[in-house]
Amino acid sequence: MSGDGGKSPTVTVAVDAMGGDFGAEEIVRGVAQLSLEAPHIQSLLVGDTRAIQAQLARARHDPERISVHHAEHVVRMDEKPAEALDEKPECSVAVAARLVAEGAADALVSAGNTGASVLACARHWKKIPGVRRAPLAAVYPTEIRRGEKDDPFSLILDVGATLDVSAEDLVSFALMGSAYAARISKNPRPRVALLSNGAEAGKGPPEIVEAHQLLTQSTELNFVGNVEGVDIPRGSADVIVCGGYVGNVVLKMLEGISETVMRLAGYAYKERLVWRLGLMLLSGGIHRLKEITDWEQYGGAPVLGFDHLFIKAHGRSRARAIHNAVKVAAKAQQAGLVREIEVALREFQERRAESPPAQPRA
Amino acid sequence: MAKPREDKRKPIPPGGPSLLAAHPPEPAPPPRHVYRWDLDKTYLKTEFDSLKDLLRSALEGAEAKQAVPGASALLRELRATGGTRICFISGSPRQMRRVLTKKLKLDGVEFDEFILKPNLRNMLTGRFRAMREQVGYKLPALLAGRAGLSAETRETCFGDDAEADCFIYSLYADVIAGSVPRPLLEEILYRANVYEDDAQRAVTLADALPAAGAAVDRIFINLDRRSPVARFERYGARVVPVFNYFQAALVLCEDGNLSAPSVVRVALEMVDRFGYSLDALRNSLQDLLRRGRLKRATAVMLGGELTEEGIPQLGSLPGARELLLSFAARVRELGELPAATLPPDGAIDYLAALEADLPRKRR
Repeated sequence: MSGDGGKSPTVTVAVDAMGGDFGAEEIVRGVAQLSLEAPHIQSLLVGDTRAIQAQLARARHDPERISVHHAEHVVRMDEKPAEALDEKPECSVAVAARLVAEGAADALVSAGNTGASVLACARHWKKIPGVRRAPLAAVYPTEIRRGEKDDPFSLILDVGATLDVSAEDLVSFALMGSAYAARISKNPRPRVALLSNGAEAGKGPPEIVEAHQLLTQSTELNFVGNVEGVDIPRGSADVIVCGGYVGNVVLKMLEGISETVMRLAGYAYKERLVWRLGLMLLSGGIHRLKEITDWEQYGGAPVLGFDHLFIKAHGRSRARAIHNAVKVAAKAQQAGLVREIEVALREFQERRAESPPAQPRA
Repeated sequence: MAKPREDKRKPIPPGGPSLLAAHPPEPAPPPRHVYRWDLDKTYLKTEFDSLKDLLRSALEGAEAKQAVPGASALLRELRATGGTRICFISGSPRQMRRVLTKKLKLDGVEFDEFILKPNLRNMLTGRFRAMREQVGYKLPALLAGRAGLSAETRETCFGDDAEADCFIYSLYADVIAGSVPRPLLEEILYRANVYEDDAQRAVTLADALPAAGAAVDRIFINLDRRSPVARFERYGARVVPVFNYFQAALVLCEDGNLSAPSVVRVALEMVDRFGYSLDALRNSLQDLLRRGRLKRATAVMLGGELTEEGIPQLGSLPGARELLLSFAARVRELGELPAATLPPDGAIDYLAALEADLPRKRR
């Protein structure tokens, strides 16, 4: 049956149906599967109607929970974001962002060109007061788990949306990341840390040092101080805050290490029979580890700081990742994430106004 | 030699005279349109995927049984158009007749014929295959039902995606249209693992039917299992898979078998009694448009014909205007739709369909 039976309010998530490496096929499959499971989520697929319908016809789905908005163009993964959006204002991601701004949907999910997606949001949405830069957050599997749901992922932000950041930007990232972790990982007091080259408060570039002071003095976050790169996979903090340049380098390095380890295991498998047997004996554990750290289960990375939520799914997302990305978007919307971020930022501004500005240490 | 007396008695109408009537009634005019409905998962929300479900379904009373949203409203609206005959044909055992007819009565659904499966007899005579098999039961029953009807009587069939309804209704439609040669019908029934006497009965009934041409306009398949619509493409454009009865009502309206206010009454029952949201209804309308099962002109016409006065106001439920504005928005969102490709209407390959849709039953 349709609707939600009055149990929970319906959330509408706009989904860019054309973005991503696999085009409409995987995205529509993911949304189709979700439509059978989540009565409280309405998906608004934005893209070429004929391509979308061709996929829907072949998938089990509930059309009562899916609508389609036609968009003529697509931004390809290799296009320059600003040029592409200028040339194709009716591309799927721009139309989807506009529909969210107009109130036709509550949040946006896209697996397409990251730059174009964020730019489309910036052009159609407003920033939350107090946010100068909207960070892109990413999740990374860690040794320690957290929250009610034993979430194995920590949140790192920003991982590429900003190049130069101020101390205030870093504090706003911390507030937004903490709100996200509290709502999505059900971790009521997430441990927040700054990424630096030492644990001491005075270590790092001036903006890190100043941000450390601000976070200590002007917020009620569970701020645990500075952490180093080595602490990220250990899970010493639940939310790790850094500038986009550093965050992107860190994230890519972590991904690279993960891929290299898998490749090395592949070589070992081929090299000696004994090693192969060893790996076979471990295969159950490896499979379990792969399941736990599978990024597809998280769905995508949130772009925070706008008056609506944008979940950026990986370009290589298949149906399962899209399914989970839409679920995360709906969950964040239902949890009132944007509102919570607004409140946290306002409280921070009020505290700052009451206390004297922090003096950067020499 | 005595002159033979003139027979002044009136001719006996078909079906014999009523013993209670002072004057024999005039024979009823032949129905203009026959609506044939399956029961489980088409009219009733029935679960029979497990033994527990089967037992619960068999033991529950009429009050506990749930109709599929919109089904009873659609049947009442179809009945109200006049000149219709409503026939149920169900795989449920005959022992359930009392509770099932009571359920229909509770829902305000009138019917003319109610065929149930002789499962007790099948069990006692060791015909265990026949207890689950539907082709050998439903096809002869449908053909027998057609036997007394005029060539002009049109038909619409309603089934679901749980078993072989689409296959059986399509075969029935093609048999009465005269487009299934006898050897092919025999081959199909053989491969469907139908008992010989049932197959013989079906063939005899098919042979006895006058060539009427195509009489079945539509076959609606309620997608209870949310099967992909592409699964039914092999059966051509006559088969319309629907996700709810609002969609069926829209198509029937386009076909001229239902009025616009009737469509809205079906929608309102779904909202009122089954908690359907406006989103769900307008998405359903948009789905039909995307699939090319409804013309945009019909959606526009629907808006033109409706007025607030024609629609019952049900407390806090959306008014007709709100409903229409909402529908119109979803139609606009689609933009200029490229013409949807409907499934081709060529001859159905029943032997291939048998392989695909009744794999457990084939020989």
